[in-house]
Amino acid sequence: MPKPDDIIDRLLQSARDEVPDTSRVEFAFETRVLARLREERSFGIAAWAWRLAPFFAALVMVAGVWERADTTHLQATAVLVADAVREHPDRILLSLVRQEP
Amino acid sequence: MTFALPLSLLVDKTEAMSDAAPPSDEALVDATIRGDDSAFAELMRRHKRRVFSAASRFARDDHQMDDIAQEVFVRAFKNLRNFRRDAPFEHWLSRITVSACYDFLRRERRHRDTTSLEAVEYDLSDPSVESEIAAGRAREVLSWAMRFLRPEEQLILTLCEIDERPIREVAELTGWSEANVKVRAFRARASLRQVFEDHAEA
Repeated sequence: MPKPDDIIDRLLQSARDEVPDTSRVEFAFETRVLARLREERSFGIAAWAWRLAPFFAALVMVAGVWERADTTHLQATAVLVADAVREHPDRILLSLVRQEP
Repeated sequence: MTFALPLSLLVDKTEAMSDAAPPSDEALVDATIRGDDSAFAELMRRHKRRVFSAASRFARDDHQMDDIAQEVFVRAFKNLRNFRRDAPFEHWLSRITVSACYDFLRRERRHRDTTSLEAVEYDLSDPSVESEIAAGRAREVLSWAMRFLRPEEQLILTLCEIDERPIREVAELTGWSEANVKVRAFRARASLRQVFEDHAEA
């Protein structure tokens, strides 16, 4: 039985010598590729919309978080104001009349 | 009423057209970037033979070969703006070809792992293997053996051993260092030997 290295050498040599005939596949190749490119271009806008979808989703989430944080801040301020009005209603009324901050 | 062009004018024009040198690859690249599809078609006409030849080393049938070649030119088209003119267009396209072939091998391996192997099993202790090689079916035997190797091993064996490209060129095409290419080529050859030894023992 021949040694594996001999077999490999002979196989590689045969592969080297072989000139594949690709003319059949080459026929109208340019037309196929250009058609594929045109098809991909027509789907370009839809593809971009899909690509941008995560960005917009993230944007909505950030806006939601920001809105929530803002509301929480307002709620905390409202509690403080309510406490102040309850404890010193006269002062609050006076400052409102005088337009003090 | 008809108008006739002077023959001398027509002759001059035809001669001028035939004398004009064909546009360079770089000029065609520029025209393609400007939106001229026919320029890209001309680029494909010029280079498709080489791309198909490279793809045929990895593909098992015409359909796969066509897929690889299409992938190469679609990638080239999409990245034309990244083509720097420090090397010829042909070299740039060769790098894309190697990359597309490597991706194809990786996809094939995943596909092969999930489907049954339909390859013909060769009994290497059988002297008929000799006749298979002699009968010009070496490629079939080799591709059968290659299927047991990893994608990078198949790639490096094809580039170094079948295409007989210099180590430096393989390094440029694959993006691996020259030392890395040497080591990988040595290991790939050893793996191929192992495939034959295992099958001979079995």
